[in-house]
Amino acid sequence: MLRLLLQVSLRNLFRSRINLLIGAIIFFYTLLLVVGGAMLDSLLGSMSRSIVGTVSGHIQLYSVTSRDPMSIWPTMGNEPDLSPMQDYQRVEGAISKLPNVKAVVPMGINGSLITSGNTVDLTLAELRGVVREEKENGKTAELEAERQSLKEHVRQIVRVLHTDLGRATEMETTEARDPEALAAVERASSDAFWQGFDEDPYGALEFLENKVAPQLPDGDLVPLRYVGTDLDGFAKSFDRMEIVDGQAVPPGRRGMLLSKFIYEQYLKLKTARRMDLIKEAVDTGALISTDPELQRYVHQNAQQTREILLQLDPLKSEQAVRALRASLGRSDGTLPELLSAFFAVTDDNFQARYAFFYKELAPLLQLYRLRVGDVLTITAFTRSGYTKSLNIPVWGTFRFKGLEKSPLAGNISLMDIMSFRELYGYLGADTSAEIQALKQEAGAQAVDRTHAEEELFGSGRKVVAEATPGLIDDKKAFPGTAANLRRKDLQQRVFDHAEISRGVVLNAAVILKDPSKLKQTLREVRELSDREHLGIYAVSWQDASGILGQLVMLARLVLYVAAFIIFVVAMVIINNAMMMATLRRTAEVGTMRAIGAQRPFVLTMVLSETLTLGVVFGAAGALLGAGIVGWVGAKGIRATADIMYFFFSGPRLYPHLSISNVIAAMGIVLVVSVVSTLYPAFLAARVPPVRAMQTDE
Amino acid sequence: MAPIVSIVDVYKEYSLGKTLVPALRGVSLDVVAGEFISIAGPSGSGKTTLLNLIGCVDVATRGTVVVAGRNTAELSERELTSLRLNTIGFIFQSFNLVPVLSVFQNVEFPLLLQRKLSAPERRKRVMLLLEQVGIATHADHRPSELSGGQRQRVAVARALVGSPQLVLADEPTANLDSVTGEHIIDLMKELNERDGTTFIFSTHDARVMSHANAVIRLEDGQIVGREKPLGGAQAAGMH
Repeated sequence: MLRLLLQVSLRNLFRSRINLLIGAIIFFYTLLLVVGGAMLDSLLGSMSRSIVGTVSGHIQLYSVTSRDPMSIWPTMGNEPDLSPMQDYQRVEGAISKLPNVKAVVPMGINGSLITSGNTVDLTLAELRGVVREEKENGKTAELEAERQSLKEHVRQIVRVLHTDLGRATEMETTEARDPEALAAVERASSDAFWQGFDEDPYGALEFLENKVAPQLPDGDLVPLRYVGTDLDGFAKSFDRMEIVDGQAVPPGRRGMLLSKFIYEQYLKLKTARRMDLIKEAVDTGALISTDPELQRYVHQNAQQTREILLQLDPLKSEQAVRALRASLGRSDGTLPELLSAFFAVTDDNFQARYAFFYKELAPLLQLYRLRVGDVLTITAFTRSGYTKSLNIPVWGTFRFKGLEKSPLAGNISLMDIMSFRELYGYLGADTSAEIQALKQEAGAQAVDRTHAEEELFGSGRKVVAEATPGLIDDKKAFPGTAANLRRKDLQQRVFDHAEISRGVVLNAAVILKDPSKLKQTLREVRELSDREHLGIYAVSWQDASGILGQLVMLARLVLYVAAFIIFVVAMVIINNAMMMATLRRTAEVGTMRAIGAQRPFVLTMVLSETLTLGVVFGAAGALLGAGIVGWVGAKGIRATADIMYFFFSGPRLYPHLSISNVIAAMGIVLVVSVVSTLYPAFLAARVPPVRAMQTDE
Repeated sequence: MAPIVSIVDVYKEYSLGKTLVPALRGVSLDVVAGEFISIAGPSGSGKTTLLNLIGCVDVATRGTVVVAGRNTAELSERELTSLRLNTIGFIFQSFNLVPVLSVFQNVEFPLLLQRKLSAPERRKRVMLLLEQVGIATHADHRPSELSGGQRQRVAVARALVGSPQLVLADEPTANLDSVTGEHIIDLMKELNERDGTTFIFSTHDARVMSHANAVIRLEDGQIVGREKPLGGAQAAGMH
C-alpha cells in the first residue's frame, strides 16, 4: 500500500505544472534557508568569536551591588558603574574549580584621554635638560653641539609659527589676535633673542615655554580605553592576542600594552598614517583618481605639512630638502613647497613615493608620538569622580589576530591591574601603607562620623580627622604591608599573583573549555554563587557585550522574521496551488472512493504527494544551497568595511554548512508542505464517490 | 433465491437551487444473483441515479435499498465504502482509470485496498483477470497508451478483480464505437456466464440492451416495464 502511495506520489510529481510551481517554491525556499542559515550561523559564530576572544570571555562576572549591568561595549560610551567584588580571591578560587572552566581573568574597564606628545614642549624640555646638565657638570663639546642643535630646532619651530601667524593675519582682523602674543613670536624670531639666549638660558626658556609654546596647538587628545587585568593571565586566556611591537609586560610589573590599532590610528604621524591607508587601498585595487576618500588623504597630506616641519631641526631640514629635490627632480624650492609637491601623489608615482617616504624621510622623523618604552601619563576619573594621574611605562603594542583592522577590537588597550586600581580610586597596597605611615606621623586617628563632634570638640582633646580617599579598607586585606614598599620605585616593584587577586576587581572573564555548554556552566556558576554567597552576577557574553550582543540577537531575529514571512507566503501559495490541483482531480479521487478507498486513504495520498514534492525539491534546493555555501566558503567573503572585520572575526568570512542547517531547513520545508496541504487534503477526502459517475470530460 | 439487490418504493430528489428535482419516484426492483440486467431509458430518466443507489455511492431520499443483504440506509459512510470495496465492482462510462498507474497497477488497486491477498497472490489474480479481458500483454502500459476499448477492458478487469457479487456499469459503451462496445458487452456476458457474477448496466443503445437477460425500462424516474429483450440475432438484424 505504501509502495503504491509512493508510486502515485512520485509519478504525480512532474505530471502537472502546478506541482512544478510548488516544487519551485519549495526548491527556492530550501535554498534560501540553507544558504541564509549557514551564512548567518557563520556570521554569528565569527561575531561571537570576536566578542568572546577579545575581552568578554564566555561569561562575565561582576558584583551584585553594582549600579549598572555589565557591559563591555556600553552604549554611548558610558562605562557601567560596577562595584568591586566582595572577595575576588574567593570567587576565582570557587569558579575555577567548576569542571568546564578553563580560566578566570580579573578585570576592570575604564577610559581616559591622553595627550599625544607635543613637539615644541618636548624640544624645550630637552633643551632645558642640556642647559641644566651644563650648569651642573660643566660644558663639554658634545653638550655644546647638542645645545646648538636643539636651539636651532626651536628656532625652526618658531619660524613655522611665525609663517603661520603671518598667514593668519592676512585673513583676520588684527584685533582678533592678542598683540602680546604676536609680539612674543616676533621677539622669538629675532636674531637678537637667540644671540642673547646663552647669557640667560633659563630666562629665555621660560619666555619660550610660557609665551610661545602655548600658541602652538597641543597634540591631539586621544581617547584611551583600557582594561586593567592580570596581563599574564589575559595573554594566556585570550589566545588571539599577540604582541606586535616591544614586548609583553613582565609578570608582576606595572605597565601598559597599547592597542596597535590605537597606536597606528592616533599616535602615528598623521602624514605617515595617511600614506599607509592610501597604500593599503591601492594595494587592494583602489585608484586615487577615482576614490574620493583617497583624494582627500592626498589633499590633506599636501596641505598639512606642519607636523613634519615642526619635527625637523635645521640639519634634518637640509637633508630632507636635498632628498626631496633629488626625488622630485627640482633644483630649487623651500621645504614646505617640496613637501607639498611630494605628497601630492598620483596613481602613477604613489608606490615610488611611498617607498621613498619610508626610506628617506621617515628616518628623519619621529613616526610615533609615543614610543615603546616611553612612560605615558594617564589621567583618569576615579569612580568617585576626582581625577588621578599615574605614570605607566608602555612596554609594547598588541593586537588580536584577524581583528587588526577592527576599531571595535582595537579600541581597548591593556594595563596591569595594580595601576588600574589606583587610577580607578582604589588604593593599592603601597599607597595605603604610605597613607598609614603619614597618618601615624601626624598623629591622625580615624574618627567615626557619628562620634565626630564629640571626638573633635567634646573632651577638648586635639584630634585631626582626615577623610580617607577610596572606598575600600585595604588595611584588613594587607595587614603585613610595610610602608617602605612605597620607597621603591613604583614601576620597579614586582607584585605577585596573590596581590592581583586579593585587591579590587570590578569584573572577571570566565573562559570555558567547552563553549557549547555555556548555558549549563552559567547555571552552575549562579548556583555556586548562591550557595557560597560569592555576591556575584554571572552573565553570558551576549548579555555582557551590550549593543553588540543585541546586534547578534537582532540579526537572528531578522532571519527568523524573514523566514517566517516566506514561510507564510509559501504556505499560502502552496495551499492555493494544491487546492487547484485537488479540484482538477476530483474525478480521479471520486473513482478511488467509489472503488472502495476510505477517506483516510485519500488524505494520506494527497499529503504524501506534497511530502514527496517537499523531499525531492527540498533535497535539490538543499543540495544547491550546500554547493553555494561550499563555494562561497572556499572563496570567503571579503570584509569591505573596518567594522566588518569584527563581525567576520578576520579579513574574510568563510561560511560553512553544518548538518543542522540542512536538517532545520528540510524540517521547516516539510512542515510547510504538509501544513499547507492539510486543507486541500481534507477537501479531497470529502469528494463524494458519486463524483466518479459524473462525466464532464 | 434471495435477491442480491432489493429496492422497495425508493424516492430520490436532488435540490437544484431552491427547487427539488425528483430523479426517482417510487421505484421497486429485485435483482437475483447471476442476472445480466440492462437499465434502459432516455437521458434524465433516472438510470444513473438508480445505479448510484444500487452502487452505494448515493443514498435514497425515501424507501429502502438492500444490497447483498444490507440495508444501505443503516450503514455508515465507512461501512458503505467497505461494502463497495468487497461486494460491488464498477465500470464507468469514461473508464476512470488512474492515469499515473500502469494497467497492472490499476487492476491491482482494489486488491491493495482489500488487503486480503499477498503480493504474489495479487500478481497471479491480476494477471488472470488481464488474460480474461485479453489485455495481459499491455500490463505495463499506461492508460494513455491504450485505445478506448482497451481501457474499458482494463476497467472491466478492475471491476472484477476483487471478486464482487455485483458489477455495475454506467453506459459502458457510450464512449466506444459500436464494434468495440459490442466486444465489451460480449466480454461482460462471458464473465457473467462463467462466474455467475451479477451485472447491472445502463444503456440507451438497443443493440447493447439485446444482450441482457432482462431490460428495466425507466421513464421520468419510474419503472415503466421489465421485459425480456428480443433475441440477440434479431437485435443484430435490426440495423
